[in-house]
Amino acid sequence: MAAAPLREQLSALLSSMFSQGLVDEQFEQLQMLQDEGGTPGFVAEVVTLFCDDAERIIAEIATLLEQPIVSFDKVDAFVHQLKGSSASVGAQKVKFTCMQFRQFCQEKSRDGCLMALAVVRNEFYDLRNKFQTMLQLEQQIQAYDPKQQ
Amino acid sequence: MGAAAVRVLVVDDSPVDRRVVELLLRTHCGGGGGAAPFHVTAVDSGKKAMELLGLEGQRRKQMCPSATAAAAADANEQAIDIVLTDYCMPEMTGYDLLKAIKALGSPNPIPVVVMSSENEPQRISRCLTAGAEDFILKPLKINDVQRLRECSGARPKAATTDDDDDRCNTVSSSRKKLPSDHTAKKVATAEQKTSPLAGLAMVINASSFEVSHYFQLLFKFILIAYAVLCLSQLLHRWSNGSFLSLWCA
Repeated sequence: MAAAPLREQLSALLSSMFSQGLVDEQFEQLQMLQDEGGTPGFVAEVVTLFCDDAERIIAEIATLLEQPIVSFDKVDAFVHQLKGSSASVGAQKVKFTCMQFRQFCQEKSRDGCLMALAVVRNEFYDLRNKFQTMLQLEQQIQAYDPKQQ
Repeated sequence: MGAAAVRVLVVDDSPVDRRVVELLLRTHCGGGGGAAPFHVTAVDSGKKAMELLGLEGQRRKQMCPSATAAAAADANEQAIDIVLTDYCMPEMTGYDLLKAIKALGSPNPIPVVVMSSENEPQRISRCLTAGAEDFILKPLKINDVQRLRECSGARPKAATTDDDDDRCNTVSSSRKKLPSDHTAKKVATAEQKTSPLAGLAMVINASSFEVSHYFQLLFKFILIAYAVLCLSQLLHRWSNGSFLSLWCA
């Protein structure tokens, strides 16, 4: 009974994430796999892995852009990896910002890359906060009703 | 219960992509009716994939030095049924891995499926020309799992060849723009795999170009022989006819 308002919160959170374009149908597919495939924790595991990996990649990119001579190929490779992993989890906004970032890498523009990195970082942090809230709500729901979810 | 597990080697340098693909394959057995589950091995580089495949090949040779035993071991103990590799990887790309696997020269080559987040026709065509069974756009989706199952050749007993061929053709035409000969090659390969003469098909696949050329020559020879036979029959009748006309006259 106490899980009902938590479920409502979770549902509202997910709806806003979809409506704001933070996540796309790929994330929905992962949720379906978790629900229909009977693999609890599937989404949590993937989301956590993405957040850790994205943080690492963003730090690597920042380090590369601080160098006196920027290796735009290496930066592009990292951005490509972040784009790929964000697409795999359905992080739509992060994916789009990575695509724009790659344009600056191809133009070999340090200023452009720094600006794009700031955008990617902001979008990622926003998404990470939402993911953390989502996982907390799921854990609380599971604590009240372990048979479901 | 159902078919034996399909052993997939997933090669991807991204830990997130690797895990998503791994979970997707393990979770979605799909298809129903005894569809084979997936047994997934994941590595993060082409080099590690080659080590795994190369070591397995050496192990087989060491365990079964004789040709007959090696063939039996090859049929029953092949560790990997299909390789699913990302295209963009540092040091050894998925394309390099594909070519290396095909260059192993195995009589029963492991099918390789390449995946990439970039929808580049040249990249797709290059991989298919190099021998890739299929090319899948990332992120992987649920319906890609069935494509993978078909490419591995491990199907439930109730599956029909026509559906698989249609699916291969439909997927090929909708997902990527393939030259018609590549599509035909895939259809022919799918048909050969499911025909009762599977053993003959495997031999044909092993030297497909040379054997098909041989059959063309054989067919031409048979046609020529038949034509000569018909001609000789005609000449014989004409000659008999001319004798008769002379005799009647």
